[in-house]
Amino acid sequence: MQSLAACSPLQHSRLTIGRIMLLVVVACIPGISMATWFFGYGLIINIGLAICVALALEAAILTIRQKNVRLHLADNSALVTAVLFGIAIPPGCPWWIVVIGIFFAIVVAKHIYGGLGQNPFNPAMCGYLLLLLSFPLEMASWYLPSGSLLEQQSFNPLSWSGLQQSMLLSMPFLAVDSISMHASIDGLAMATPLAEFNMAGKSALLAAQESGLSIFARTSGTGWELVNIGYLLGGLFLLYRRIISWHIPLSLIVTVGLLAMFFYAPGSSAAYGTPYLHLFGSATMIGAFFIATDPVSAATTNKGKIVYGIVIGCAIYAIRVWGSYLDSIALAVLFGNFCAPALDHFCRPRIYGHGRSKELGS
Amino acid sequence: MTIVDRLLGFKRNPRVHKIPGGIKPPAFKASSLRSRIMPTPIPRKLIMPLLQHQGVAACPVVAVGDRVLKYQLLAEARGTSSVALHAPTSASIVEISNTLVANGSAELQLCILLEPDGADVAVEITPIPDYRALSHLQLLELVTAAGICGMGGAGFPLAEKLRLSIDKGVELLIINAAECEPYISADEALIRERAELVVAGSKILQSICLASRCIIAIADDKTAAITALVNALQNSSIELVQVRAKYSIGGEKQLIQAVTGVEVPVGKLPSDIGVLMQNVGTAYAVYEAIVEGRPCISRITTVTGSPLITPKNFETLIGTPVSFLFDLCGIDKSAHTGSIMGGSLMGIALPSTKVPVVKTTNCLIATCAEEFPPAAPEQACIRCGFCATACPVSLLPQQLYAFARSREQDQLIDYGLFDCIECGACAYVCPSQIPLVQYYRASKAEIHEHRAQQLQSAHWQTRFQYHQYRLKEQKDEARERKSSRIETQAAKTSNGHFSRVRAREEIADAVARVKARKSKFISSSNIDQEKKD
Repeated sequence: MQSLAACSPLQHSRLTIGRIMLLVVVACIPGISMATWFFGYGLIINIGLAICVALALEAAILTIRQKNVRLHLADNSALVTAVLFGIAIPPGCPWWIVVIGIFFAIVVAKHIYGGLGQNPFNPAMCGYLLLLLSFPLEMASWYLPSGSLLEQQSFNPLSWSGLQQSMLLSMPFLAVDSISMHASIDGLAMATPLAEFNMAGKSALLAAQESGLSIFARTSGTGWELVNIGYLLGGLFLLYRRIISWHIPLSLIVTVGLLAMFFYAPGSSAAYGTPYLHLFGSATMIGAFFIATDPVSAATTNKGKIVYGIVIGCAIYAIRVWGSYLDSIALAVLFGNFCAPALDHFCRPRIYGHGRSKELGS
Repeated sequence: MTIVDRLLGFKRNPRVHKIPGGIKPPAFKASSLRSRIMPTPIPRKLIMPLLQHQGVAACPVVAVGDRVLKYQLLAEARGTSSVALHAPTSASIVEISNTLVANGSAELQLCILLEPDGADVAVEITPIPDYRALSHLQLLELVTAAGICGMGGAGFPLAEKLRLSIDKGVELLIINAAECEPYISADEALIRERAELVVAGSKILQSICLASRCIIAIADDKTAAITALVNALQNSSIELVQVRAKYSIGGEKQLIQAVTGVEVPVGKLPSDIGVLMQNVGTAYAVYEAIVEGRPCISRITTVTGSPLITPKNFETLIGTPVSFLFDLCGIDKSAHTGSIMGGSLMGIALPSTKVPVVKTTNCLIATCAEEFPPAAPEQACIRCGFCATACPVSLLPQQLYAFARSREQDQLIDYGLFDCIECGACAYVCPSQIPLVQYYRASKAEIHEHRAQQLQSAHWQTRFQYHQYRLKEQKDEARERKSSRIETQAAKTSNGHFSRVRAREEIADAVARVKARKSKFISSSNIDQEKKD
């Protein structure tokens, strides 16, 4: 008799946080594989390193806070933070950058605020922003698999030498002949498409686009389209499994798309970038489906979620086009996090029997 | 259900309105629907609680040692919000004492314990084959005497609800056959096998409450029951409405919304908007009470759960111990981990299988460890909003939970704590396994207690203020009395006028007297000194 719960309902759907978080990680796989295909093993190394450090830190903090370590590790929330963080930082950045970032994410942004469910800001994005502000150079250097724009020789990032290079970029202490390796590594670095776009290389990128390079060609130097499609697929999977609701991703993507369409003037300078570039040539999809939908720090009412998506969409576009930071997603999401409690307060659903009253038979 | 089905469903029922929220847990109804409704034998002992409904307990009219016959009155209704109790079979009264019953707490309740003699001798009853011969008030009288309360689970006294509705005027009678909670199949079995009788009962109810329309609302997944009803409803003015099968569409307010599109305004009753809702089981009990003349002594109860070998629906006598029914099905004792009265979402865990079936018992579940694992440890709320999506009342359970934890009573009320119908959909879907309903119940109790305290302290405050006022009055009176006494004295001395001059003269006189006395004293002492010298 003791086995039943003390209070109704006596049965449960059996969907647990641990499973939800695991599904989020699974949904990241298409995007991660795409990114690996383009940028090499650097991303996998980052994510693996981030996961190991995050789990170790989580276990340590839980022990210090005298919580049930096994129970709380099983919620997989640290795993998701680590994966999202690993995706966000550029492949090929040194290991200690990863460690600093994930430390900030897990310890400061999450546990100091009270652990899972209490953090007002998205931990992965907090960690990423700390790095962006502290190490702008490293964070701006995104691996270029093959430099059609930089006139480099053709090179397969998935080959053995690609793995070697990725390992060396991440863990320079492994190098025996470090001097010679560094020379070639420098040549492999470029900024993200949006950074390129934002900084100086607008013309180069536009030229690459206009020359009609196939999005499937690894040599195009853009590569982001397929990565975005991968994350889009993962996001649709989460929608299908009802892990996330449609409100945030849809309103965010529509907002970014509409703004890009509104400001884009094809005939003139084209300085604002095409809607296509904004949606598929950047981190918009991962932001819309994986980052902005973090339930803890997002708005929680349906109406609130729509406004939240619009706020973040506007912020993404504004920061990209008029801002001076390389990345827009993290800042925009944190801005949205600031607004979330107010949105929840003002966007409440109408409760049954309150407000409008209808007559029978009308 | 796929999207296509859903679209088709809307096409099939253009009159059904969409209601928010809801969940679709596995139904677990098939096993108990495999066999037909089975009448139970008479158990060796019957336990008849005096309070089987919402309201006031019935008052016993029999004494220990009495022999009662079937249908004989055991306890009469005490006022309008009470329900009479009848003997399910001929028996002798063994005991009237506090006994363990299923009431969600360990509190014992006063019960009449019967020992059936097995003869099943009945008192004479008067069937009324044609109810149209009687006026609606006569019918109401008969229904009141039959001791019927809501059979759907809540157990509101039928007569009182009917009276309330008649007073306010009923436009629409809805017979609730939604039965959306997992495991329960009593209503479905009843309709499948006795649709005509249910329809007859509904007609009687309609003529009692004088409603112009009557709708039977059924969930669209009960195909056999729907076919039976369609056949029974041919050439009848009663309409059949199929609502989408989801939990908790069977809730009174939810079903009214789904059928009519109208919400019961907050703080009002369905009768305020001209709607009366009764369960199909109640309609059947009304049929029995009028047409067959039998008071409510039995009901259809689903007895199910995987430890049972042949789960089925029983037509069981009120007062039958749960263990008797489990044994009738054959129970695998090693797999049996617990028992539930009601469905798996709103039911209560039974403290023992010795407790009796009461008038509101629609289902008994013998649980096993696989279907009902022990409650998982509660984890942190991640505000995923699954609960808000599931809530049929459009509350924000995640916010209510946060306020409940921080004991913010004003916020709880503002966010609609008292609109919660405790259906448990939120807790069912919560991935953190937070027992949300438990939090809400505790918060409701806390707020009630706080209000009671406030009322009491307000009461004592006014008492105190009166006390202070009385003290002040007394003081004022005393002061007045004193001053008037001084005045009368003054009047005595100065013929009614207080004179400053006269007072000064008096003072001067007194001073002169003292001085004279002093000078006398000084001079005499001087004389003494001179003598010494």
